[in-house]
Amino acid sequence: MAESIRRTLRTLRIVASRWDARAILTLTGLAYLIGYSFAVGDLALTGRGGISLLVVDAPLDRAFQSTGYLSFEPIAAVEAGPLTYLFSPIDAGLALVLAALVGINVALTYLGLVQPRACGMESSVGLLAAVPALFSGAACCGPVVLIAIGVQATGAVIAGFQLLLPIAVGLLALSVVLVGRRIDPTLA
Amino acid sequence: MNDRVTRRGFVATVGAIAIAGCSGVTGDRSSDRSTAMDDSATSAATTSTASGEGSLPPLADRSLVLPMEPPQLREAAVSGGVSKDGIPAIDQPRFEAAGQVGGRLAPGDVVFGIARNGVAKAYPQSILVHHEVCNDTLDGTPIGVTYCPLTGTAVGFERGETTFGVSGRLVNDNLIMYDRATEHWWPQVLATAIPGWNADGDASGTDGGRTNGAGSVQSNTSGSATSNTSRDGTPNATIGRSLREFRVVWTTWQRWRDQFPDTRVLTEDTGYIRDYGQDPYGSYSPPSGYYEPESEPLFPPLDTDDRYPTKAVVVGARTTDGAIAFHKRSLRREGVITGSLDGTPHVGVHDDRLDTAYVYRNADGASVTTTPDGVRVADTVHPPDELPLERVHAFDAMWFAWHGFYPATSVYG
Repeated sequence: MAESIRRTLRTLRIVASRWDARAILTLTGLAYLIGYSFAVGDLALTGRGGISLLVVDAPLDRAFQSTGYLSFEPIAAVEAGPLTYLFSPIDAGLALVLAALVGINVALTYLGLVQPRACGMESSVGLLAAVPALFSGAACCGPVVLIAIGVQATGAVIAGFQLLLPIAVGLLALSVVLVGRRIDPTLA
Repeated sequence: MNDRVTRRGFVATVGAIAIAGCSGVTGDRSSDRSTAMDDSATSAATTSTASGEGSLPPLADRSLVLPMEPPQLREAAVSGGVSKDGIPAIDQPRFEAAGQVGGRLAPGDVVFGIARNGVAKAYPQSILVHHEVCNDTLDGTPIGVTYCPLTGTAVGFERGETTFGVSGRLVNDNLIMYDRATEHWWPQVLATAIPGWNADGDASGTDGGRTNGAGSVQSNTSGSATSNTSRDGTPNATIGRSLREFRVVWTTWQRWRDQFPDTRVLTEDTGYIRDYGQDPYGSYSPPSGYYEPESEPLFPPLDTDDRYPTKAVVVGARTTDGAIAFHKRSLRREGVITGSLDGTPHVGVHDDRLDTAYVYRNADGASVTTTPDGVRVADTVHPPDELPLERVHAFDAMWFAWHGFYPATSVYG
């Protein structure tokens, strides 16, 4: 496992050094970040026009107030034209981690494709791990997706939804290692 | 901590701006009508103080009917997926005059209105859907205005010296509040204390002691000491006791403003950042998402009945003796509907002005009919909210929620 991680880290340096891999990482990560923010309700098309900023008093205190499992109070709202973005530092940090992992997975897949002797199929499968995180957003009560599709919840389902985010992060990280170790840094 | 929110033009550097001062909620005189406190289901309050627990909210002198014993209700409680206070109550509400609202509220937007002694206030649903509890005062009385989006219920409570918070738990899909002085749990619709965080053990059993199909209900008069105990085994006399409650009118902004032009309106300056333009559950105009009449509740209710669509609105009232409900759409159409609660005649009366309804106890069986000029009781005509009968506290509720809590309810319309 240690060798796999070392090899993966070497591969990640390759990703950082190639403009095409960097571009893919950035674009796919950004796309996932936007999609995730919409999915969990931090980003919405509810702007009232114009540009404005709302900030709570004592934002440092508020930033650590939990609203649910791995979910914290927003401290600012930015309106820009039709968009409204609620900024919660910790939630945004988690979203960035997820987006980075998704971007790395896609970039590694790309490297695998341009390397005839490597196989990047695991990363394609691993990317599926990014999907459940999109459903992790909770409304005031209950997961948004259940309300949207009218499926009734149970205590176990609610508990399961709370695990979507850490499971997604874990699987995406594992996927990076599985794919990264298969790419030959000398060929990149 | 004075948590407020600042709005200003966009700047490159994000910084916190402390805002001093608090809103001056002036007692605007809009009319002499009272649509809030006079609908109280209870009479004299007894403000109790639990030993070492702080000051309880004012309690009613009689306890409302419950579908099952409080410990069973505690077992039926589930996590809504948010933590305690994860849905933050508004503790420092700010208000503005109706004329300052501008385009923030559309005429058809749902608001929850209260009025007493000429003071009227409106709480937009678009705000309370994100907070569920607003700790406020009305005409000098500390109150909690509460709204549960999952059961479509808006109820007002007196809170005394304490404030209410949102526990993050639900029973029968209904908000369970807690009071911050003693941390007792108070399911909103039941308005009655059940064991909370300090209850013995965890909720267990998936059936949660549900009522049987016949829907027997139990009157909870004092809270049995054998089953309602604190963690240390001492009887908890508060369990099974009910809060003092008052009427909150579910109506639209235009209707409320027309009746109470001097109303004050809760602003979005709640001290919290939320997207008040977005209801996470759906929309009421027109009904969509979770609010669609045929849509499913989030959690299975305590009891089911298919006489009406799941989310159909009924106007329900409950007393120490039982529960009665009137189908709101039928009331809207017929004006007056007569029914019976535990053998006593009751009447539901629609009020076109606010598109709301009132429930009256009509023990003597007086003739109550609707006329173009108002509601005729015997030989005199009265406004719908001022009949010379005993008014019973009533509120709008989704049918599934009402029947889940009160399976033996009588229902008309």
